[in-house]
Amino acid sequence: MAANFDQLSAREIAAGVANGDFTAVEVARAALDAVEARDGEVKAFLQVSADLALAAAEATDRARAAGERLGPLAGVPVAFKDNMHLVGTRTTCASRMLENYESTFTATCVQRLLDAGATPVGKTNMDEFAFGSSTESSAFHPTANPWDVARVPGGSSGGSAAAVAAGEVTVSLGSDTGGSIRQPASLCGVVGLKPTYGAVSRYGVVAFGSSLDQVGPFGRRVEDVALAMNALTAGGRDPWDSTSQPVACDFAAHLDDPIEGRRVGVVPALMEAAGLTDEVRDAVSAAARALADQGAELVEVDLPNIASAIAAYYVIAPCEAFSNLARFDGVRYGYQEPGQATLAEQTSLSRAHGFGEEAKRRQMLGAYLLSSGVYDTYYYPAQQVRTLITADYARAYEKCDVILMPAAPRTAFKFGELSDPTQMYASDMFTISNNIAGNGGVSVPLGLGAATGLPVSAQLQGPAFADARLLTFARAIERSFSPDGGAPVAPAFAGKGGELA
Amino acid sequence: MKKLAEVLKDWEAVIGLEVHTELTTLETKMFCNCRLSHDDPPNTNVCPVCLGMPGALPVPNEKAIESIVMAGLATNCQIMRHSMFYRKHYFYPDMAKNFQTTQGPVAFCMHGHLDLEVSGAGAKERPDATVEKDADGGYVAPIRILRIHMEEDAAKMVHVGGEEGRITAATESLIDYNRCGTPLIELVTEPDLRTPEEARLFMEKLRQTFLTLGISDCSLESGSMRCDGNISLRRRGATEFGTKTEMKNINSFKSLHDALEYEICRQAEVLEEGGIVYQETRHWEPSRRRTVVMRVKETADDYRLFPDPDLAPFDLTDEFIDRCRARIPELPDAKRDRYVADYGLKRADAAQLAGDPKVAAFFEEALEGVGEKVVGTLANVMVNLVPSYDALTVGQVRGIAGLLAEDALTFAQAREVLDAINGTDEDAVAYVDAHGMRQSTDEGALGAIVDEVLGRCADQVQQYRDGNKKVLGFLVGQCMKAAKGSGNPKAFNKMLAEKLEG
Repeated sequence: MAANFDQLSAREIAAGVANGDFTAVEVARAALDAVEARDGEVKAFLQVSADLALAAAEATDRARAAGERLGPLAGVPVAFKDNMHLVGTRTTCASRMLENYESTFTATCVQRLLDAGATPVGKTNMDEFAFGSSTESSAFHPTANPWDVARVPGGSSGGSAAAVAAGEVTVSLGSDTGGSIRQPASLCGVVGLKPTYGAVSRYGVVAFGSSLDQVGPFGRRVEDVALAMNALTAGGRDPWDSTSQPVACDFAAHLDDPIEGRRVGVVPALMEAAGLTDEVRDAVSAAARALADQGAELVEVDLPNIASAIAAYYVIAPCEAFSNLARFDGVRYGYQEPGQATLAEQTSLSRAHGFGEEAKRRQMLGAYLLSSGVYDTYYYPAQQVRTLITADYARAYEKCDVILMPAAPRTAFKFGELSDPTQMYASDMFTISNNIAGNGGVSVPLGLGAATGLPVSAQLQGPAFADARLLTFARAIERSFSPDGGAPVAPAFAGKGGELA
Repeated sequence: MKKLAEVLKDWEAVIGLEVHTELTTLETKMFCNCRLSHDDPPNTNVCPVCLGMPGALPVPNEKAIESIVMAGLATNCQIMRHSMFYRKHYFYPDMAKNFQTTQGPVAFCMHGHLDLEVSGAGAKERPDATVEKDADGGYVAPIRILRIHMEEDAAKMVHVGGEEGRITAATESLIDYNRCGTPLIELVTEPDLRTPEEARLFMEKLRQTFLTLGISDCSLESGSMRCDGNISLRRRGATEFGTKTEMKNINSFKSLHDALEYEICRQAEVLEEGGIVYQETRHWEPSRRRTVVMRVKETADDYRLFPDPDLAPFDLTDEFIDRCRARIPELPDAKRDRYVADYGLKRADAAQLAGDPKVAAFFEEALEGVGEKVVGTLANVMVNLVPSYDALTVGQVRGIAGLLAEDALTFAQAREVLDAINGTDEDAVAYVDAHGMRQSTDEGALGAIVDEVLGRCADQVQQYRDGNKKVLGFLVGQCMKAAKGSGNPKAFNKMLAEKLEG
């Protein structure tokens, strides 16, 4: 058969490998071929790990030959955001600071996908240390949105979203601190899940905001994301991450459960939010109607304190970022300013020249917010807002099973279009509150926007550890909006390279 | 400079201690599975977590929490059910993350106290009438403990080529991360100590308590127990605190006492000359017996403390605390009181034996099967002889005590025997008999010697009868000589006195 691997779902690839329709090595070569053909323009990858990919695929094929039971992601090409450690690759966080940093151990989330049989194709571009919403702050190069290469893929997990949207890999992992999975998923027209805080181990993921960060998968189909979640949570809680929790459920088992009689919350104030474009609002309204058509009940809910979420986030996240990034001083590893006479000069200049502008801005902000006298004025109120927003959600979920809202206020913007940092921060206006509360959320493609012709998405949010429920509703939207069973590969790249030999 | 006694007549010293204790008896570090070690080659017990590599996360060591709760219970602290870890930021390579994980305003243990019994010469350091003194001048000083919190130790740095081992001007700075992440508990006292002796006693008592709990080897020399002293002076009767200085590099009990003594006298001199005591950190130089300025603290350091988001807050259960309580062995004070009550020991002797858990265990083992009459002698041997030896067996000590108790050996001879059998498995009684050292108390056998000596020392006998009782010693000596050391001097003494008085 001469199919292109970019047309296959994760389940189809794993089944094909298991059945002997094609080998894992053939799929790996197809993926590497697609990256070769497509990534010159998309630039989703910072490193392509061809050797690791082929070695993993060969191991999968050997296991099959030996009659061993293959993992549920056997042979599935995956990519990892470059803040996740994988031994044999550098982990740069798209920063000069870590340009040559070799992973010293493999992150739990990465290992679990590998344990499920996945083939690691490479490490993807991102905003430096995950600070941003466009991937433009990468120290190395920008990544293009596969739907319009003059536009950004969103961020900070822009490389992971673009790699899936361009059909270079089937599944990828990103991390989401304020929307860094859901916003680029929206801009690139793919499914992106931020699980509940604690559902996926953070061990081996370079921290940005430890109380907000969560790893999650991208895929073009809800089912691909569900299978990735099964792999990420298999094996229970991670003893190496004391904030991780056991998640005992099969994310793929209930995707097509009927949603009849279940309640979908809509927040009227959010649908009227300043900055939300008409095409996005209209598409999300259409998604609400589609869910109602499938028998769901639409209920209005209120999140009265959600307007304070961005303010609280830009206190808590920079404080944690300042602290987490303090270790990058050029003493043990990372960029070291040459020729310095004193430790203080070496530390200061290594940091001044190793970090980019946004990374420095956030750390300076955090250092200020944590300083004595200032701390009480900002940090405490921010934590109080956190409590209020968490309570808002808890009240809302007494009235509904999930909440439907936009994922991003607008479709993909052009490179350099948002030059004011606060405009960029507003990209996360619909996603940030969920990180503040620690709940799960998922971006689901709704096709192309009426005005821009670019991907538009809905976001579903749910209570803590109801991520499987989110995927059931996401699949319901997918049934209505993606008749082919999933989001398409961006047309400019579909079928370019990637033939299964 | 004036002497301490003179200074403390006019000035009251206000002393608080900060005591860091490494939990050396645990197997692993505070937040990772690396082994605790003191003598392994540098940087061999390290991992991504204690090296602060990007992406690594801390997982708290439950046994360390048990240890600190035990320490809190043993020092009469309130155990805080709800507390959390904070991050304390400073840029220095000895802390790989550039922050130390420690505790915030609420520590695992808060508001405890230890009562010090100060007696003897040490008690005289405190001239004021604010404590009630007993007939011998001794007193009890209740010392409040503000808190005991849990944290991680820093790496060890060695600066090569610079002066005084400091980083400034060093040609190379070497870092050993083996110690980085070692569980450390920091105890902070209230400023309740008033004399160097009280400070020394407090440290000693704390060390005895922690040793008894088995949570640390508490070595000041190796640095597993470290003490900083904060000290200020104020005029007697004043209620405001003076400006304090902080004393570092205190690595023995004597250093603690002497550094504080020096600093009290130094501050008094500065103040009496109309000068100003600066808030500064001072370094004790034991060889030159003085403190020198390490750095001046013009402003408080801004450590940017905030709750560690990688570590969930703790909610200790009653079951957990009860489990810790059940693991606490008999503490030194209780043991001391029991020795006094059960064995009739002197309080000071009992306290000395009870203070060191190894000594106490040795003593209690030696007591087994020993008659009531021997107990006091055994304690005496434990207090006065045993500390000079490193390898005596329980049986040897018990044997020596038995011989002493029945007057078959003098104290000087006991020393001679112990010198010979220390480190061997030789029996004390067998050794004494083999070397003919056993002294006779048999009045029949000794009577002839006494008569012979009295007969040939008529002058001395006359002197004695004329009132010079001291001459008895000479006569005992003559008897001892005549008996070639095998007669018991006490017996001779008694028999001579009887005959001369009779």
